[in-house]
Amino acid sequence: MRVPLSWLRDYVDVELTPEQLAERLTLLGMEVQKIERWGADWKDVVVGELLAVERHPHADRLFLTRVTVGAGEPLDIVCGATNIAPGQRVPVALPGAVLPGGRRIERTEKMGVTSNGMLCSGDELRLTADADEILILSDTAPLGAELISLYGDIVLDVDVKPNRGDALSLVGLAREVAAATGAQIRWPETDPVEGGDDIEQRLAVTVEAPDLCPRFVARRLSGVRVGASPDLVQMRLLAAGMRPVSNVVDASNYVMLELGKPIHTFDAAAIAAGTDGRATIVVRRARQDEPLETLDHVRRTLDRETLVIADPERALGIAGIMGGADSEVSETTTDVVVESAIFDPVAIRRTGQRYALRSEASLRFEKGHEVRLARIGADRCARLVAEWAGGDVARGRVDSDSVEPAPSTVTFRPDRVNRLLGTSLSVDEQRALLARVGLESEAAEPDDRVTVALEPQPVVVEPAPGTAITALVPTWRRDIVIEADVAEEVARVRGYDVVPSVLPHTPMPGWRPSPLEVRDAVREMLIGAGLSEVITFALVSPRLHDAFGLRAPVPSVGGEPPPGGDRIEVTNPLSRDHSILRQGLLGSLADVVGTNRRQGRADVAIFEVGKGYGREGDRTREWWRLGVALTGAAEPAAWNRAGRPWDVDDAKGLLELLCRRLGFGEPAYAAERDEPVLHPGRSLRASATGDGGAPTLEAVVGELHPDVVGAWELRAERVVVAEVAVAGLGGGQLTAVRASPPSRHPAVERDLAVVVADDQPAASVVDVIRASGGDLLHSATLFDIYRGAPLADDEKSLAHRLVFAADRTLTEAEIDAAIEGITAAVATELGGRLRA
Amino acid sequence: MDLAGLTEDLHALRDEAIAAARAAASTGDLEQLEVDLLGKKGRLTVVLRGIGSLPAEDRPRVGAIANEVQTAMRSALADAASSLRSRELADRLAAEAVDVTTPGRSIRRGTYHPIVETADRITRIFEQFGFVVYEGPEVEDDLTNFRMLNIPQDHPARDLWDTLYVDVENHLLRTHTSPGQIRVMQSTRPPIRALLPGRCFRYEAVDASHASEFFQVEGLMVDEGTTLADLKGLLDQFAQAMYGRGQRTRFRPGYYPFTEPSVAFDVECLVCGGSGCPACSRTGWMTILGAGMVHPVVLQYGGIDPERYQGFAFGMGVERIANLRHAVTDLRLYMENDLRFLEQFR
Repeated sequence: MRVPLSWLRDYVDVELTPEQLAERLTLLGMEVQKIERWGADWKDVVVGELLAVERHPHADRLFLTRVTVGAGEPLDIVCGATNIAPGQRVPVALPGAVLPGGRRIERTEKMGVTSNGMLCSGDELRLTADADEILILSDTAPLGAELISLYGDIVLDVDVKPNRGDALSLVGLAREVAAATGAQIRWPETDPVEGGDDIEQRLAVTVEAPDLCPRFVARRLSGVRVGASPDLVQMRLLAAGMRPVSNVVDASNYVMLELGKPIHTFDAAAIAAGTDGRATIVVRRARQDEPLETLDHVRRTLDRETLVIADPERALGIAGIMGGADSEVSETTTDVVVESAIFDPVAIRRTGQRYALRSEASLRFEKGHEVRLARIGADRCARLVAEWAGGDVARGRVDSDSVEPAPSTVTFRPDRVNRLLGTSLSVDEQRALLARVGLESEAAEPDDRVTVALEPQPVVVEPAPGTAITALVPTWRRDIVIEADVAEEVARVRGYDVVPSVLPHTPMPGWRPSPLEVRDAVREMLIGAGLSEVITFALVSPRLHDAFGLRAPVPSVGGEPPPGGDRIEVTNPLSRDHSILRQGLLGSLADVVGTNRRQGRADVAIFEVGKGYGREGDRTREWWRLGVALTGAAEPAAWNRAGRPWDVDDAKGLLELLCRRLGFGEPAYAAERDEPVLHPGRSLRASATGDGGAPTLEAVVGELHPDVVGAWELRAERVVVAEVAVAGLGGGQLTAVRASPPSRHPAVERDLAVVVADDQPAASVVDVIRASGGDLLHSATLFDIYRGAPLADDEKSLAHRLVFAADRTLTEAEIDAAIEGITAAVATELGGRLRA
Repeated sequence: MDLAGLTEDLHALRDEAIAAARAAASTGDLEQLEVDLLGKKGRLTVVLRGIGSLPAEDRPRVGAIANEVQTAMRSALADAASSLRSRELADRLAAEAVDVTTPGRSIRRGTYHPIVETADRITRIFEQFGFVVYEGPEVEDDLTNFRMLNIPQDHPARDLWDTLYVDVENHLLRTHTSPGQIRVMQSTRPPIRALLPGRCFRYEAVDASHASEFFQVEGLMVDEGTTLADLKGLLDQFAQAMYGRGQRTRFRPGYYPFTEPSVAFDVECLVCGGSGCPACSRTGWMTILGAGMVHPVVLQYGGIDPERYQGFAFGMGVERIANLRHAVTDLRLYMENDLRFLEQFR
């Protein structure tokens, strides 16, 4: 809400600087987001007086004026406006002046005559909406005075919260200022001077939908002269952010800003008569597909949910949202009907959303306002129209329901207020604070009850005798209903600095495992291994989702929900690029690789711990995954060593490190040839299990398919990626290590080269060695692969280092026996042999 | 051979050996020399073979002389070996010298993402005060995200959360971590001290200060005597832990449907120190989070009696906290993942 200070001062005295006022309002919960100097964009614009106005010698439409600005020689200024005459005081932009929008005024020549500046219109100064005529200033405006000293203003931009619709008005904010400073409110005069006919003779109102329109008040004026509003009104409306339209329309907007009551005005001639001959307004639901051209000249087709203001023949406007073009007040209007109604806030909100129409008026209707404002708003608007546009205000109002609800009460326990706030404010002090915002209070009656909560079940308690206070809530404070509302009001008016700063001394909750424990261990490990963490969007494009989706998703482990199911789509996405909830991390990470490669970054080693999302019907599920992407150099070349690119073995190494860190078994690998996004010859599935044999890690690892690298412009020769399910990533604990003392007996190493068929997976060979090595075999590690003479072309030799150990000294014979067992198994299970 | 001759030979051998030892060029030469002189077939042995031709009474004398000679030779060999080893070591060390001013071999370490790192830091601070971490779903049901937080359908307050909806009935992408409050209360009893970090979504056009996906940390504390003063004390501790000892703070009224009273928590401007600058809109203060006493409606939806219990909740945008901590002014940098940006966060 934009609040011009000069206007606010109509209703309350302010003896603070704008900065002080802003701070006080902010500390009262009415946050001032900006202090704007209205007129700060005028430079060298001063008050001048017209000495002479003559026809321009060479141009029919121009005038040559002579203007004094007090000091110095009078100025000759060329002007195109027709509303000027000698003796008028006008704004003069001197040569070198700057106007709003940065427009500079210089000495110029116009049709052979030098013009020493410019006379300004209201529009050129952004003071009024009038662009054709020169702004005529008051006769008392001091000659030569800078215009900003007369017409400059301060505009506060106040962030009024949705629960305080009452403060979306100058009077409402004046009340807040009064609460802060102790000043008194000046309520504007609202009663119009009535004359002429009784309104009942000229206008009838039928509310057919009282559920959507609890109250409808109308006033009528006749003999109105529609024209421009007084300059001051235009200045105020503009400063408050509304464009002046005409004196009648401006009056309705003025009342909306002043009182917070949206008003609509009709051309009375456009309202058709009913059977009794009187112009008749009908408030009803629209007929299906009923047509209406709204004020913005859009032809709309209404639906039955929409409340309309109609006459007996047709809809005249959408209630609370926008009037109709046909009944708009125009220059030819002489009789005006003022509508001041209460509409159902929810219906207004829904209607506004359905037609995508939101306005200052509908915003206020949505928040709701006190019922009596319907009457007061109609009166005030009629008064202002008569003041600014002349005409007679018909006697009385048409009012569909003139019963105005009495103020409600709220009962509270000052002790509970203190218990909520952690304060020790006395009962009297609390009552005095409430009185500053209009809540008069007294000791509660015996049957008064404290409302702790209204929903979902009412919690209403009987206070101990003598402990409660009952306050009368002003009708405009519809937000004060329960005891906690009173607590906020007490704290707010007193200032939140009344709340002390103490540390909690209430009982601690019991221990609970952190869901972050495993995730943090994984992150820490990968960062130590040289990978940087990234965070990418969970919402991805359909293209990325489809391109990087796995045929066989990485299965979940550790009791996490299974991956996959149908994808979840956003129904109102900001863009297609962010419209699908991802089901894996590979695409997002590839995207980051591409971003960095295109920036000229050679080496990219990244990971993300993030979620996948899916649905089964209306059941949604989310699962955690680790994603890895590696490209460029694993070890960069330096002056003292050659570089080495990232490859799939690095990714496997990371998985093995991960398994060691988390206490999982060593991962087993199997070739993966059927994922379209991956290189068919350089991809694999990895899986590991925990102590009990349950799966603890599942992964797909591989190089991105060259087609994918090309299609996504990753500008990398090879990109190694992995998507990993890790037990505990979504919440779990690190398992404790069961330690054993190191053996005091030396281990024995033997190297064993096994010759097998070239297509025999290395993993199967080491599996056979381990399975057949007996209890003494402590470890078997592949350390060399050899192909070539004297082996056959379709053979390879896999050299393993075997370590035998036991809690005693081993004999050669024992080890020989173990090797013999391995040799036999290699022969029978793999068709292999030892290399001589 | 007579005694004199043999003695002379021995002394000659001794002198020759000492000279040779001194002249040896390497420890290898010296070892060879030792074999030549003192080995089983060495020259000393050869000389001493002549002892057999001496009269028996002379033999002890020759033996004594031979011992002296042998000792002298061994001593000379040892001395020579020692000085040779010193020299050879010095040579080796000299030869092994490198240019120690070359750069070290780089050891790569990755970096934590600043948003996750900041969320971690926030979490650690509150864990010190007994808060335990929970997580809730990101695809949330409408009821928990709004209704149970006292934000009814068609309430104007809904305008505070521009929402992304999904094609699952009654579901949306959570607009804040606050629905986690309901889930925590429904799953545990007071005393509650819960922390809920996580990803949130808004229908928000992305620019330097708006993000469609962002991270929040929610806090919830509920017990019989939990007060707004406790909240203030805790947040004061938090501000100091995050921005330094002595950080000045301020409570002012805020508005959230799910808290009553509601609070905006400000810290003294981290840019200008409170004197007023564009970063703080010249107010000297910056709002870092919203908070308040949990609304009785919310407590009830959480299954908690609002007459017996009360509590506070707070929620902060991790990006906001990180921006102020790291002098970042454009939110988009966080999701862009340009490593030149991320790697600054060592």
